[in-house]
Amino acid sequence: MSETGPPPRAIPRESLASRLIQAVAGLLDRPMAWIQRAVGGRGMAYVFLAPNILFFGLFVFLPIGINMAMSLTGGTNLFLSERPFVGTDHYRSLMQCGSYLDPASCREDHFWKGVSNTLKFTLFQMVAMVGTALVTALVLNRKIRGRGFFRAVYFFPVLLSPVVVALIWKWILQRDGLLNGAITLVGGEKILFFVEPGWAMFWAVFVSVWAHMGFYTLILLAGLQAIPADLYEAAEMDGTKPMRVLTRITLPLLWPNLVVVLVLVLIKAVQTFDEVFVLTGGGPGTATLMVVQYIYETAFANQVQNFGLAAAASMLLGAVLFALTMLQLWIARRKAA
Amino acid sequence: MAGLVLKGIAKSFGPVEVLRGIDLEVANGEFVVFVGPSGCGKSTLLRVIAGLEEVTSGTILIDGQDVTAERAAERGLAMVFQSYALYPHMSVYRNIAFALENMRLPREEIEARVRRAATMLRLTDYLDRKPGALSGGQRQRVAIGRAVVRDPKIFLFDEPLSNLDAELRVATRKELAGLHAEIGGTMIYVTHDQVEAMTLANRIVVLNKGRIEQVGTPLELYNRPANLFVAGFIGSPRMNLISGRVGPDGHFEMPGGALAQSGPFLPAGLAPGAEITLGIRPEHVLPAGGEAPDAILTVDLVEQLGSESYLYGTLPGGAALTLRSPLEDPARRGESLPVRFERHRLHVFDAAGLALRP
Repeated sequence: MSETGPPPRAIPRESLASRLIQAVAGLLDRPMAWIQRAVGGRGMAYVFLAPNILFFGLFVFLPIGINMAMSLTGGTNLFLSERPFVGTDHYRSLMQCGSYLDPASCREDHFWKGVSNTLKFTLFQMVAMVGTALVTALVLNRKIRGRGFFRAVYFFPVLLSPVVVALIWKWILQRDGLLNGAITLVGGEKILFFVEPGWAMFWAVFVSVWAHMGFYTLILLAGLQAIPADLYEAAEMDGTKPMRVLTRITLPLLWPNLVVVLVLVLIKAVQTFDEVFVLTGGGPGTATLMVVQYIYETAFANQVQNFGLAAAASMLLGAVLFALTMLQLWIARRKAA
Repeated sequence: MAGLVLKGIAKSFGPVEVLRGIDLEVANGEFVVFVGPSGCGKSTLLRVIAGLEEVTSGTILIDGQDVTAERAAERGLAMVFQSYALYPHMSVYRNIAFALENMRLPREEIEARVRRAATMLRLTDYLDRKPGALSGGQRQRVAIGRAVVRDPKIFLFDEPLSNLDAELRVATRKELAGLHAEIGGTMIYVTHDQVEAMTLANRIVVLNKGRIEQVGTPLELYNRPANLFVAGFIGSPRMNLISGRVGPDGHFEMPGGALAQSGPFLPAGLAPGAEITLGIRPEHVLPAGGEAPDAILTVDLVEQLGSESYLYGTLPGGAALTLRSPLEDPARRGESLPVRFERHRLHVFDAAGLALRP
C-alpha cells in the first residue's frame, strides 16, 4: 500500500501469483493515498473499520432499531411508515397477567406458556448438559482405549445442522419409529412420545443435549487438560481418595471453565427454537412451545401477522439475553484477571 | 524414619529401557542424592520409589517390607515436586493440611502440626495466602512443609531447586541441609546439579543411561571416581582426561609427549602398548615453575573469578587441558605455560573406562 515501503520479502518476486497480487495491490495504491490525504493518518483506522461497521450496522444495529420501532407500532403492515404508533401497548399486553405463575391467566397466554416452557427447558437442559458434558469430559480425559475415537464421536453431532439432528430423532421417536420398533420387538407397547407432554419435553431436552454436548465437552476437556498432572500426583502421594480428588482438586480448578459452559448453555437454551420446532412443533398443544417459536409464529405463521407484538416479545427476550451476555463477559474478564 | 532397599529395579516405557538393574541400599536418616545427566533415569527412579511409576521388574523394600505392589499413598512417603505442585486454589494452610485431612486426623492435631511446620519453615505469616501470591522460595518452603507435616518414612525431592534463581538456590540448599540436620529423616534427592549433590549428600548415587555408575560419599566420588563417566561428571570444571598408551619404558605416552613415571601412578602389570586414559583435576595441574615440566600448555582462554583463575588450553598433541590457579593473572591468552601434574593426584582408566588403582 505504501509507496515507499520495501516489497514484502516472503513473496518471491518471480512467482506469477505474487505478481498478480502486486498488480492488484498496485491498483489500490493511488486511491488509498488519496483517501489518506483526505482523512489523515488517524482517520485511516476508521476507513479500514468501515466495512465491518457498515456490515454490523446494516445487519445487526439497523434491524434492532427497526424491531424496536415495530414494537412501538401497530397494524399488520410491514412498512414502518404505514404503521400507527401505539406506544407501549404491545409490552403492556404481553405483561398483562392475572398471575405470572399461571400462563392461562395472561392476556398473551402463549407467550407466557413459552416463557414457562423455556424456563423449564433451560433448567433441565442446563443440568443435563453440564452434567453429561462434565462426566464425558472426565472419562475422555482418562487414558482409555480408543480415546481419540470417542472424542471424535462425541463431537460429531455438533457438526450436524440442528434441523438434521431433529429430523433424525423424529424418525427414531415417531409412532412407528425406530425406538418404538425396538420396544414392540421386545414385547413392549408403543409409546407416543410426541403426544405425551412429559415425554415431548424430555426428548426436546435429550436431543438438544445429544446435539450440543460435544462442544461443551470440548471446553471442559480443555480445562481438564490444563490442570497440571503433578497436582494429581501430589494428591496421590497425599493419599487422596478419588472422590475427594474430584471434589477438592478437579472441580475447583475446572470451575472457571464450568461457569463459562453454564452461561453459554443458558444463553443457547433461552434461544432454543429450530431443534424443538422441527422435533415437536411446540406440541403436543403448547407443551414444548418456546418463546422464540411464539415470536416466530406471532410474526409470520399466524393468520394475522402481528409484527408489533412479536417485536415487543423479541425485545424482552433480547433484554434477557443481553443481561446473560453481560454476565458471561463479566465472568470471562474475571477469569482473565 | 526408614531405610530403603532397591533390588534389581528395571523400568521400561515400551521398548525404551529407562532403568536397568538398579541395586541400592539407603540407611535410616541418610541424605542420598541421585545425580546424573538429563535422561539418565534419576527422576524415573525417584518416581518408582514414590509409587508413581510401576516397576517392570525388581523389588522395593521400605523398613524391610516389600512395597513394590503398594500404591503411592500406602508407602508412607512424601515428595517435593520440581514444580512444587501446590494446589493453586487452596491457601498455604490448606495446602499443608490437605494430606492430614485425608488421614482424618483431629482438627486440633492438624492445626498443631501445620503451625509447627510453618514455624520451622518461616511460613507463619503466609498461611492465609494462596500459592500464586508467594515468591518461588516461599512456594518451595510450602512444598517442603507439605511433606514435613506428614512425618513420612522417607522424603523424596525431585529437583526442588531447579526453578529458583542462583542466589535463592544457595539459600534454600542451606535450609534443606539444616532441615535434614533438624528432623533427621531419610531423604532422597534428585538433581542434575553436582554442586547440590556434593553439598547436600551423605552419599551420592551417580546414574547414567539407567545404571548406577558409582555410589559413595561426595569426596569418595571426587577423589576416587570408579570410571571415566564419574570422573568426567563430578567436579567443575571437569577433570582433564588425556588418552594415550603405556610406553615400552613404562612411561605414559600421550600425543605430543610422554609423562615420565616419576611417581607410582601407573598400576603395576600394565603391558606396554595398553590403551589408557589419564585423568587429572584442574587444581592438580600446576605451573612447573623451576621444576621440569610434564607438558607445555598453550593458553586459549583465561577465566578470572577473583579468588582464582581457570586457564583453558591445549597440549602439543591437541588434548584440551584446564588448570586452576590461585593467582589473579597467571598467564595470558596465547602464552606457552610449562605445567606439571601432581603425580599422586593422577587417575588412570583402562580402555573400558574403569579406574585402575596403583
